[in-house]
Amino acid sequence: MKTRYIRYALLTVSLGLVTYLALGFGVQSFEAFCPFGGMESLWGLFRAGEFSCALGPLNLSMLVAVLLLTLLAKKSFCGWACPIGFLGELCGHAGGVVNKKKLRPGERLDTALRMLRYVVLVVALVFTYKAGELILRGYDPFYLIFSGVGHGTAGVFSYATLAILVIGAFAVPMFFCRYLCPLGAVLDPFSRLGVVKIYRDESKCTNCASCQTACPHDIPVHSLSRVRRRDCTNCLECVDACPEEGVLSIRAGL
Amino acid sequence: MKIPKYFVPLIVLIALVGGYFLRTAFTQPTTNVVVGSGEGMTLDCIVDGVKCRGTAEFFTSLYKDKPGIKRIETFASDHRVVFTFDPELITPMRIRNIMEAQISLEDGTTVQAFKCVSME
Repeated sequence: MKTRYIRYALLTVSLGLVTYLALGFGVQSFEAFCPFGGMESLWGLFRAGEFSCALGPLNLSMLVAVLLLTLLAKKSFCGWACPIGFLGELCGHAGGVVNKKKLRPGERLDTALRMLRYVVLVVALVFTYKAGELILRGYDPFYLIFSGVGHGTAGVFSYATLAILVIGAFAVPMFFCRYLCPLGAVLDPFSRLGVVKIYRDESKCTNCASCQTACPHDIPVHSLSRVRRRDCTNCLECVDACPEEGVLSIRAGL
Repeated sequence: MKIPKYFVPLIVLIALVGGYFLRTAFTQPTTNVVVGSGEGMTLDCIVDGVKCRGTAEFFTSLYKDKPGIKRIETFASDHRVVFTFDPELITPMRIRNIMEAQISLEDGTTVQAFKCVSME
């Protein structure tokens, strides 16, 4: 069975759970499950022993769990559990159906744009730490989508942000994850150290590049002996797409 | 070491479930207001309307001058409030009535800001 089916099943459960909570069912707030909320709560906890805004213990415990998971299996949280990544991937597929030729920024532009994640991370943390409130929630797609542009958003600016992110998701594969996700920036150094990763048997590989075409993050797996790239989510799309038996495999190694 | 591909979803599930249960290790409040000293009874409530630091601070302000309230801890992400109170000065029902009372807005209208969903 293709691993994509299992991955999409897990992602659907994750999306369904967050939607269920966002609709007001259950005691927990949907925001409580966001690991980045754990990052945002650190300063408040350090300074006053209290959580900022709507953040709580679950944000922090999810952050710890996701950091440990990333050390073990790279950004597998992003590829297997994040509802925003899932929506971005679905938009990307829809965009690919409409426009067969995916928009791929040049390598230098792509590298420069990927730095935006760190800018978003610093801005989000500085604003949250200074104010003790989630001031940037009005520009956070997770909050905007699941709250229905609700309480604490920035009106027309929030709608504009959402529109840009949706258009971006249709045009560029994994637009938000690639260029703007602050959690991705937090996970980057941990992902580089990730133990479980994709290995390529160079002697069997035909360099057909099916792996890169299938990769949501456009990683050129066919030119690597092992995928140490920080953006790899271990989604295993490349393994499924490879036409040769036994070229790509998952292994544990440093 | 080669690993079966189903290992990845398995450890993702384990991490998420583990993260959920690990939350009890980080139980810190959103606000913690100590009004009086000494021991008292505790009342654990789920309150619809306590959803962030702002609403939690407004909620605790409702009990500012109420005799018998010793401590109010709010946990916004769980919509939870824990009161420590002197049962000789205030009853759980009175605590509930205060939070569910109509609140006057600047435009002259009134609104019920909070609703007690459960009390223990």
